[in-house]
Amino acid sequence: MARGQMSFILVQVIVGGLLLGAVYALFSSGLTLVWGMMNIVNFAHGDFVMLGMYAAFVVFTLFGVGPLAGVPFATLLLALLGVVVYFALIRDIMKGPMLAQILGTFGLALLLRYSVFWWFGANFLSLPQDIVGGTFAFLGLRIEASRLLAGVVALFVTLGLHLLLTRTSLGSKMLAVAEDATAAQLMGIRPDTMQAIAWAIAAGATGLAGALIATFFYIVPTVGETLGIVAFVTVSLGGFGSVPGALIAGLLIGVIESLSAYLIGDVYKDIVVYVLFLSFLWFRPQGLMGKT
Amino acid sequence: MRRFLWPALLLALIVAYPLVFSTPFLQRLGALVLLYAIAASSWNVIGGYAGQVSVGHAVFFGCGAYAAMGAYAHFGLSPLVGIPAGIVLAAGIAAIVGVPTLRLSGHYFSMATIAVAELVRLVVTNTDYLGAAVGLSGPTVPRNVFDLSFISALPYYYLFLVVLAVTLLITWWMANSRMGFYLRAIRDSERAARSLGAPTSRTKLYAFMLSAGLTSVAGALYAMMFGFVDPESGLGILISVKILIMAALGGAGLLFGPLVGAAILVPLEEISNSLLGGQGAGLTFVVYGAIIVLIARFQPGGILTLVKRELERRGRAPGKQKALQAGASHAP
Amino acid sequence: MQFKQLLGLVCAAAIAIGLTGRALAEDKVIKIGAIFPMTGNAASAGVHAKAALEVAEDIINNAHPELGDLPLAKNAGLAGLGGAKVQVIFADNQGSPATGQNQALRLITEEKVVALTGAYQSGITLTASAIAEKYGIPFVNGESVAANLTERGFKWFFRTTPIATDIVKVYYDFLADMKAQGIKADSIALVHDNTEYGTSVANTIAAGFKEKGLNPLDIAYVSNATDLQSQVLQLKEKKPDVVIMISYTSDAILFAKTMQAQDYKPPMLLCDDSGYSDPSFIKSVGKISQGVLNRSSWSVGPPGSPTAIIADMYRKKSGDEMDDTAGREMQGFFVLVDAIDRAGSTDPAKIQAALRATDLKPNQLMMGYKGVKFDEKGQNILASAVIIQLQDGENYVPVWPKANAAKAPVLPYKGW
Repeated sequence: MARGQMSFILVQVIVGGLLLGAVYALFSSGLTLVWGMMNIVNFAHGDFVMLGMYAAFVVFTLFGVGPLAGVPFATLLLALLGVVVYFALIRDIMKGPMLAQILGTFGLALLLRYSVFWWFGANFLSLPQDIVGGTFAFLGLRIEASRLLAGVVALFVTLGLHLLLTRTSLGSKMLAVAEDATAAQLMGIRPDTMQAIAWAIAAGATGLAGALIATFFYIVPTVGETLGIVAFVTVSLGGFGSVPGALIAGLLIGVIESLSAYLIGDVYKDIVVYVLFLSFLWFRPQGLMGKT
Repeated sequence: MRRFLWPALLLALIVAYPLVFSTPFLQRLGALVLLYAIAASSWNVIGGYAGQVSVGHAVFFGCGAYAAMGAYAHFGLSPLVGIPAGIVLAAGIAAIVGVPTLRLSGHYFSMATIAVAELVRLVVTNTDYLGAAVGLSGPTVPRNVFDLSFISALPYYYLFLVVLAVTLLITWWMANSRMGFYLRAIRDSERAARSLGAPTSRTKLYAFMLSAGLTSVAGALYAMMFGFVDPESGLGILISVKILIMAALGGAGLLFGPLVGAAILVPLEEISNSLLGGQGAGLTFVVYGAIIVLIARFQPGGILTLVKRELERRGRAPGKQKALQAGASHAP
Repeated sequence: MQFKQLLGLVCAAAIAIGLTGRALAEDKVIKIGAIFPMTGNAASAGVHAKAALEVAEDIINNAHPELGDLPLAKNAGLAGLGGAKVQVIFADNQGSPATGQNQALRLITEEKVVALTGAYQSGITLTASAIAEKYGIPFVNGESVAANLTERGFKWFFRTTPIATDIVKVYYDFLADMKAQGIKADSIALVHDNTEYGTSVANTIAAGFKEKGLNPLDIAYVSNATDLQSQVLQLKEKKPDVVIMISYTSDAILFAKTMQAQDYKPPMLLCDDSGYSDPSFIKSVGKISQGVLNRSSWSVGPPGSPTAIIADMYRKKSGDEMDDTAGREMQGFFVLVDAIDRAGSTDPAKIQAALRATDLKPNQLMMGYKGVKFDEKGQNILASAVIIQLQDGENYVPVWPKANAAKAPVLPYKGW
């Protein structure tokens, strides 16, 4: 009896890990886009996720509607913010050294985090537990509808971004700018416009992620700190700029975390992740799907 | 003669600061500026001169802090005894970490250093010998002067000033040696440097170890002043970022850049906190964040580059700016 | 010329700081410094503490005869100092031991406070009180639980809160009592985060229970988790009779959500204050945590009672319900001001002597301690706690011990 139950719980752990990993992938895809394509380290990424969460919360408290309205609102709001941030800050610090990017985006992170703090206060907020249909049992596995939704959306977002970059003319223009802005300009592509679009897409995807995460996570101004560092590891494991890489890396980290938390102990799970990450860098310094 | 007037005046001001601004809080503020200037100047060796952006210097900071507190907590020794141990430990970790990670380019090196720092923080949090999450405390009541536990910040100020002077001297000496020449070549183009026969890997490793050792001294001094270290305050990512942004804000790769950065950011942080922190509305960091954003936006190379350009504009003799020249241009 | 303006701003701020210390040197106002985390991860606790101390300030400075035996409430100001008013100067520790110490120094030397209170996180209380000790300024702490705080031989440090050893006794006695009533409580799981608070409380509980022949299962996790499914599944598999939870708010909320998602209900869910006392916890997940038991020293009491009036004042001030942490901070502050009143002076040594002589009875307290009396280390030897339960998912009611209980405990755990 014990063995059967044990392996069954193990399946539940793995399924939970996959769902968690999909969420990691979801909120990392925006980061990999700007990091990989424009070589920008965005320390404010976690706070973009946080803003998406608050956007969903505001929609819910004002109009009483769930993610159906909250997700599009958060996506649009953050896309707009992405464009504003690009023209107000990023365009200028891109010309400077990498350090200026860390400096600028770190300052931006504090500014966003504590503006939200100032407006909403420090209390923990939460959306109703059953906002996306509670939990259901499937083959004896318990699956939260909200996490499943986030996982499915993660797949679609990844696919969508991947197709956009590889199959559309907008995508090839963006990649051309990423490759060589001057050459692209000579070919009649306006780097500024392309990069602003890239920021809108990246920030929009991040806002979408935040709005979905809000359906099963608590909301607090400092939540971006918790999520930001996970996104960093996911993106670099996946390879900077590789959207499918971020998905695979996210799933991998989710499963490793869940399994090691269950088998070895939760306090060691991050140690396992970092050790694997570092040894991976040793053998493949360009990440899972990154170019050399 | 005039060219020495301003530096001499500045130096006099720095030495006289705690005597002029003699309230305990302002003295302590001065000491903190120097403390963070030591840490940021140490980071500058690898992050500024060599252009290898480490976002994990908290590891080395923590080595010093834990060595100093450990010497007291476990052996009843003066925390001073921990300093050499911290230097050796930090340089050792830098060597172990540096060999595999320094060959990584750009962002991967930064990510690897973040990962190492987080890893060490997590391990220490689970290590009872190092106080786990509770941390290690120093002597609460000083037994003698070697416990370096003073009420006034004055002794700290001059101690830190001496250490900072030594740190800057070492940096200056390094920047003007063959090693500094190699490092600048590596920063501008590693491939070109290698093809010209510069021992790039070895040079970077030495710079990393030197930077680590110096940073650990800052960590040890920090722990002695506050009498306490725990995983978050000794090894947290915020420490790494703080060290980095001070150097970046002042001017990375410039000898006095980190000092300028610390002289701006530390008072800004403490004063905005003192004025706004008690309201509990988070405005401290709104102001602090906004100012950092503005500086990055309008002066991406750091504040000293502004000064440097101003000096160049006035057509001063370039000989005087040898030290400043160290980081003239920034390769992406 | 952005930078000249910036520089001007910094200079102006520096001058302003220099001036504030000297201005307002009124005799009639007694300044007390309060250091709390107003930003960072623990900011919600700091903001609540600020509201609590502001209510206390109001109670002390204005006449509140309706508050009964509570010292300092009856008349306006401090009788012992000719009706002098109390002013709390708040400072933000930013969750950093260094900042906490810097602010303690600023409060002592620039603001000239006569005493200090705070600083929530034990590590910061440690560094902040070290400065107070060096300057010979009394430091009264109402909420930090780390054992080492009162083991340093300090002469100026006093603590009113129950600490881990007191907590173990409450839990053990409660479980023994439940067992006597026929409730199964043999296997115990101890779930705690790996922060200084979680580890130290869990270690003390584990050691205390082992002495009595119990061997709790230890499940540690990293604070501010993104996912807690594995811990819940571990519990589901081990099926302990009692789960003791030691968590901050963030993880407490996530645990509640995950337990519902995994359909796991332990027969008894016994929690250790902090996260489970946070009003945000009840607002967020109270409805799916019905029947959760919690350790607390605070209870609202019947309408019209002093505690109910205080709870009301606090609600008006902060917009949230009073919780145990804010209450313990407020109690610590009252003890400090009472000592200043009895000292009849702002001389630190006299306040210290008055603190040593403190002997408050239960009817003089807002918290459910058996009294306040300090041992030679500065620890309150009469601190205690009761068990409360969130029976309806909205309000905690005291359920144990019988003398303090408003209702009988309802078991097993209901959840949702």
